[in-house]
Amino acid sequence: MNILEAHHVTKNYAAHKALDDVSISIPKQSIFGLLGPNGAGKTTLIRIINQIIMSDAGDIMINGEKLQPKHIGVIGYLPEERGLYKKMKVGEQLMYLAELKGLSSGDARKKIKHWLEKMGLTEWAGKKVEDLSKGMAQKIQFIATVMHEPDLLILDEPFSGFDPVNANLIKDEIFELREKGATVIFSTHRMESVEQLCDHIALINKSQKILDGSKKEIKDSFKSHKYSVTYKGDLVGASANFTAHDTHEVDDLNHSIIQASNGQNPNQLLQELINKVEVHSFIEEIPSINDIFIQIVEGGQK
Amino acid sequence: MNQIFLVLKREYLTRVKKKTFLLATILTPLIFPALILTIVYFATKEKESRSEEILVLDQSGLFTDAFDVSSFDFQSIEGDLESAKKQMSDQNSFGVLYIPDFEVTDPSKIEYSGFELYTKTNASVSEISRMKRSIRTRLESIKLNNSGLDKELIDNLSVRVDLDSYNLSDSGEAKKSNSQLSYAVGYGTGLLIYMFIFIYGSQIMQSVLDEKTSRIVEVIVSSVRPFNLMMGKVLGVGAVGFTQLLIWFVLIGGLSTAGLSMMAGAGSDVMVEAASNQMPVEAMEAVELTQQQEMVSDIQEMIASVPVVKILICFLFYFLGAYFLYGALYAAIGSAVDSIQDAQQFMFPIILPILAGIMSMFFVLEDPNGGLAVTMSLIPFTSPIIMMARIPFGVPDWQLALSMALLILGFVATIWMAGRVYRVGILMYGAKVNWKTISKWFTMKV
Repeated sequence: MNILEAHHVTKNYAAHKALDDVSISIPKQSIFGLLGPNGAGKTTLIRIINQIIMSDAGDIMINGEKLQPKHIGVIGYLPEERGLYKKMKVGEQLMYLAELKGLSSGDARKKIKHWLEKMGLTEWAGKKVEDLSKGMAQKIQFIATVMHEPDLLILDEPFSGFDPVNANLIKDEIFELREKGATVIFSTHRMESVEQLCDHIALINKSQKILDGSKKEIKDSFKSHKYSVTYKGDLVGASANFTAHDTHEVDDLNHSIIQASNGQNPNQLLQELINKVEVHSFIEEIPSINDIFIQIVEGGQK
Repeated sequence: MNQIFLVLKREYLTRVKKKTFLLATILTPLIFPALILTIVYFATKEKESRSEEILVLDQSGLFTDAFDVSSFDFQSIEGDLESAKKQMSDQNSFGVLYIPDFEVTDPSKIEYSGFELYTKTNASVSEISRMKRSIRTRLESIKLNNSGLDKELIDNLSVRVDLDSYNLSDSGEAKKSNSQLSYAVGYGTGLLIYMFIFIYGSQIMQSVLDEKTSRIVEVIVSSVRPFNLMMGKVLGVGAVGFTQLLIWFVLIGGLSTAGLSMMAGAGSDVMVEAASNQMPVEAMEAVELTQQQEMVSDIQEMIASVPVVKILICFLFYFLGAYFLYGALYAAIGSAVDSIQDAQQFMFPIILPILAGIMSMFFVLEDPNGGLAVTMSLIPFTSPIIMMARIPFGVPDWQLALSMALLILGFVATIWMAGRVYRVGILMYGAKVNWKTISKWFTMKV
């Protein structure tokens, strides 16, 4: 079951195409990485999902329904450019934002109390935002994003501007929310930071989606059957099953990148190696999302 | 609708709860009377405390007791000018008024000179002119005596005229009209609308800018349609202005009726007392106080001569109309820029019609049914100010209806246009904005 599906979404601005026929599917309870360099069109897509702007063509479906104003309450959005009313008190501000999301004031009060307690900010409820430290304000922003218990959380560059302690806190909260049934969309251009979190990803470059799927599938499909091996002995001499590259010596041990031929699985390869040399380490080289991305983008440019 | 209300509520409450709002609202109606009272107090106090001497050296002997009506203590002295000057510094007097020796003989001579005033510091203009008047009056009365003309005859030559003006309605009913009051009401209401556009218009702009610069706007528009956000703001800030206005009306109305009834009450009280005592002195006072009471009832009659209900209803309408029209434009400007400084270049075309309105108000009040007045009271950008200036003088119904219809059309159009700019502008950061980009946003599909 997909919580969100985008079908052939296109958005043009006067000078350029912001989104060109982008289709993605986001499975329920996944942590979905929307990756791509700055200016690729991520924020445009997110704004369309949030009904801030409208697509020129294509549909967005939420839980199988066409996107409509009532879905505002289903989504929690932490934009990249984020802030709070400086002169407003924390509690009043959260109440206002909760009511805008459609919560009754009674419900909102309970949720606000719960979240402020959870974040250790209860005694700050009556303070103005301008009196808060930056880290506290960030926590308040996060509370504002999640307090109406949205099914779909959209976090645009969530960790930019967060200090490491808060970033970890937020990460833990995100996992917890996912456990409770929420789906999370992460949008970022820093791919390494999200690689550990996401189970599904879509890569967007120059307004087009160039890749999507589960992280594992994508990585598998980009496996190049390379292994990083350290060993004692000599691997000189051709084998039909592999070739060794980049051999160099470190502390009496040799280190090589072994490129396996097609159809070889790791065990077969390892067996053959053990017969020839003393193996000290054997690691499959799995491409990072960043590598994959660069590979695709550069390949596309050629 | 619910969204607009939530935004409205926030805009309203955050403003009304501020201490500055409370202060401005309660103090403003008190400031003007307080200011007038203070000035009057100091003016009278100064007069009483002033008892400085002016030495009058009258060598002609014509001006005995000519200077009794003044804030100075005039003292006649003898001798020559030099000794008078010495005496002035000896006695620490304020000054010396020197009148040379001369005679009033030639009836055709009208220029008299040679009078000199020596003072330590500059005497005030009003005091000098008062002295001049005293000298003139004395000379005139000497000339009158010499001419042998009857003073009573001369006095009776000057007459006073009262012209009562009435507005005759179609049904033949005559109503006492009062141009001065119409002028005051027209000017006051026009000015009030002008002030509110400025004060609350820039508050809307500030509010839009705050949301933009604090970067909260993207969170807000993910929950609220930009148009609803803008309308909520315009309505919310407007409601604040309305609240303030209402409090002012109640306060000023309460204060002035209290003042009027006190004046009327004091008059009748003394009347009764005087009548029972039959004392000549008090009877005289009573006559004075009857006049005072008449004045009060005159004021009440004047107020009754103005169509109060009509003015109030029209005022509400034009107040709201002007506010919506300009408020939406202010919101659009606020959305387009990143700071107040950047807003300046866009303010000018908006301020221009307001200024044109307030400046031509003087001409309109002189000629409330002239071509300029009629034209400007129909154009939506100036009609709120100009029409309010005209209404107390009487405006043909068709003009009023047309002006109102055009104003409604005007503010619907500007709100729509402002909304189109606003929805794009609020999400644009650091963009170089000029009229061309704004017009682009206007046509942009979002």
